[in-house]
Formats: sequence, C-alpha cells, structure tokens
Amino acid sequence: MADDFKIAVICSSNQNRSMEAHSFLSKKGFNVKSFGTGNMVKLPGPAPDKPNVYDFSITYDAMYRDLMQKDYELYTQNGILHMLDRNRRIKAHPERFQDSTERFDLLITCEERVYDQVLEDFENKEKNDEQAVHIINIDIQDNHEEATIGAFMICELVTMLYASDDLDNEVDEILQEFEHKVKRSVLHTAQFY
Amino acid sequence: SKDDDAERPNEPPSSTYDIVVELLNNAAVMQKSVDKIANLKKVKELIVHNSPDLLDNFLDEMLAFQTDVSKDVKKFIIGFMEEACKKDNECLPKVLPSIVMLLADDDVNVQKKIILTANSMFKLTLSWITKAKKSRPEMTEVWNHLKELKTLLYEMLESVNDGIRTHVVKFLEGLTLVCSRRTADSEIPKKNEGDISLDQVSQTNGIAIPQKLEEDGRKAFNSLLQFQSSPHISSINLMTVMNALSNIAKQRPDFFDQVVQSYEALHVNLPPTLAKSQVSSVRKNLKTQMMGLLKHPASVDFLQQISTLLTDLGASQSEIAKNMPKDLESRKRKA
Repeated sequence: MADDFKIAVICSSNQNRSMEAHSFLSKKGFNVKSFGTGNMVKLPGPAPDKPNVYDFSITYDAMYRDLMQKDYELYTQNGILHMLDRNRRIKAHPERFQDSTERFDLLITCEERVYDQVLEDFENKEKNDEQAVHIINIDIQDNHEEATIGAFMICELVTMLYASDDLDNEVDEILQEFEHKVKRSVLHTAQFY
Repeated sequence: SKDDDAERPNEPPSSTYDIVVELLNNAAVMQKSVDKIANLKKVKELIVHNSPDLLDNFLDEMLAFQTDVSKDVKKFIIGFMEEACKKDNECLPKVLPSIVMLLADDDVNVQKKIILTANSMFKLTLSWITKAKKSRPEMTEVWNHLKELKTLLYEMLESVNDGIRTHVVKFLEGLTLVCSRRTADSEIPKKNEGDISLDQVSQTNGIAIPQKLEEDGRKAFNSLLQFQSSPHISSINLMTVMNALSNIAKQRPDFFDQVVQSYEALHVNLPPTLAKSQVSSVRKNLKTQMMGLLKHPASVDFLQQISTLLTDLGASQSEIAKNMPKDLESRKRKA
C-alpha cells in the first residue's frame, strides 16, 4: 500500500510506545520502522530505582528469557513479558535512532525529550540536502494504556498525512486539524537529509 | 512475463556496452516505473561507476527518460544527472538545459528535486570553469543556463506552494555559501570540505567574475534575511530559513553579526499568523539554533546578546555555560 512513504516512530527505549505504534501501523499496511533514542534500553524492575537495563543489541527474546527467569510472576503481572513477546514477533532487537543511516519521509517522536534528541542527531549528521523529512512530536506517557491510545492517534495522523498529494505544502493545515481533533498539541519541524 | 524473458537472452551479452544497450532498450518498453528504475539504476552503475568511458556514449539515451510519464523515473534521472556531472564535468552542457526544463515540470516533487539539485550544478559548473585553463563557449552557455535557473528560483520564493518555498530557501543557503569566502573561523561540515567557494575563484577566467559572484552571494543572503522577517511566513518556511541562516553563520562568520541580529528581531516579533503550537516549535528551534551559534568561536563578540536571548527562551545558566566556545579564555586574552 504505502511503500514509498517511509515512517519511523521513535521513543526512548524502543519497547512500548514506538513498538505499539509500529505494530499498529504495519497492520494497517504502512512502511514503518521504530527506534529509541536512549543510551540504553530501560525496562521496569522490582523497584523504581532498580530498572532492568540492556544494551540495544540484546534481542527482545533474550530480554524475555532473562526476565522470565528473574521473576516470572512480577513481569507477567506488570505486562512486561507480554510486551516483549509482542516485540519479538515484530523484529529481533530494539534499534537506536542515532545509529541508523536510513532515510525517512516522516519521523514521529513520542515525547519532547526524544524530539530534541532526534533534532540534535540531525545537527551532528552528515547531510546532502537531497530530501526533506518532517519531524513531529506527540507527547505520550510511557505506560501501556497511553501507548495504546498513542498508537491510535499516530495512526490517525499518519493516515491524514499520507492522504496528502503534496505533504510539504499541506502539512501545517493537516497538523492543525489533527491537534483540534485529538485536543493535544504537537511540535513540528522539517530537516533535510 | 514478457519483461522477464527479455532479461534472459539465449546468449549472454558480450560486453558492458551491449549490456547497457540491452538494459536501455528494455527500460524503454517497460510499463512499471519500478522495473524501469531498476534497469536504469543498473545502467547508472555501469556507465557512471564501472566504465565511465561509456558515459558520453549513453548520456543522451539516459537523458531521454526525463520525459517519462512517471515522476519517480524523472526524479531518478535528475539524480543521475547530478552523479554524471560529478563524475565528468563535461556532461554539464548536455544536462543543464534539461535541468532548466524540468524546473517547469507539472509535478511539484520533480520541481523540488530540481531545486535541491540546482546547488550542486552551480558548484560543479563553477569548479569546472575555474579549473579550465581557457574558457570555452559551452562554459558560457552553461553559465547562462544557471543564471536563468537562478532567476526562476528567486521568483519561486514567492510561490503559492509552501514546500516549493522551503526548498528554494535551501537553494539560497547553498548559493550564499558558494558565493562567499571561507575564513579562518569557518566551520565546514566534513562532507562539504571539498566544495568550491568564492575564495577559490580566480580573477581571470572571464565567465564567473568574483565581484559579481560576491554580489550574488550578498543578494541571496539578504533575500533569506528578508524572507525570515516576512510577516505572514509559514512555520515550516520560518524554521527552514532560520536553520539556513545559522548554517551560513557557522560556515561564513562574516555574516554572524547579521544572523544574530535577525534572530533577536524575530524573537520579539514572531509572525502573528502562527498557531500556538507552531510558536512552541519555532521558539524551540530558535533556542537550538542560538545554542549552535553559541558553540561557534565567532560567538565571542556576541555573548551578551546570545545569552540574553537564550535566557528569554528558557535556557538555564548552566546550559548556557556548557555551550560556551571552548577556547573562550584564550581568545579573550588575545582580544
């Protein structure tokens, strides 16, 4: 369906918000990838100050097995195992946005800090000025319910943007319509690859 | 299918030349643009990278695809034009008329691709002319095509299409950089280190006259300043021009002063047409650009203005201190 419209959804750890949207958008037939901008992947642990921290190269499957063995009850009950199980069916391991050299037409970030990190990465990257990319932030809290609602909103926005014949010309209007509809404000800018 | 059969002849083609002929012939009759582009990609690989001696032979055949119905094929050919001219500057006389023609294409995406390619063409032509021992008539011709292109692009800064204007801003950024001099303080991105700039243009080549180029550069820069201060500018146009000006300031610190001033003016006078969330995006962008300028050694003369503006935009003192130019103390002592 939408092969030539390349989308990336980006959150911090490439586990919850970006993966929920990744899953949702690919089911709708969009050409989507997902990333995280953090230095490490962080998952909730037995206490708020004891998160489980992994490198981006560790597979979702390995994390699943690690947590299953650590405390099956806890990670079943808080939904982490369920999430990792979903993730490992989508791709092998989380990906760090800053390490990617791929080009997209649209980047969607799930929190302002992530948006800032994406822009900072653009400052540092080598550019050829060959292609414009739109970067849009929608704030989504990092929990299961919000990720579900967030994915739904992202899909709605992406569908509106994809329907445009001339995105560069219409993006401002579409975003204002979207903000009005979902009653949330977004950040938006454009960069060149 | 028919195409598959055509790609598998009974006898293997004997030379690169024959392979290219066959790929081009097949591409000409293919219906789907994806297939066509796949073939043309192979041709490009062969005649630009593997056997550049064949480039001249097949240039016309490749350029003929610019009239294809598909915008993707056209965009691919524009990319090819750029690579061909990079490989061999002697392609420029054949390519430039096509570039000018495609700028008037019906498809806005084709136009935008041309606008982004125009800079590259400008740089390639200028270095082609500058390197030549003696100027040739075709150089004057190419140069005149570029002048025409420039005139058209200035007009397009007033286009009703927001995206076209955004792309023209990128062109003017590039034009300013080419038509101005690098200085000791210039921070050049690695990728652009080999780019030509005014300081490398000799006085004597007769076609590209340094004084005239310098005027061109100032004109482009002033258009950007003016565009940034237009009262009803769209948020994306505004952020693109802000970024363009900050790229120029970092690479051509001679313009640093004017860019900082323009940001100050913008800060107190944001376009009234911006929606609330657009104001947030623009202010965030302004902060990012100011932080970027602060890191630059040339900021030493503007620390007061930049810090004040950054504070107004919500930056903390420690954030500002962290982004001060590193060799500030030694520079201050020198001054």
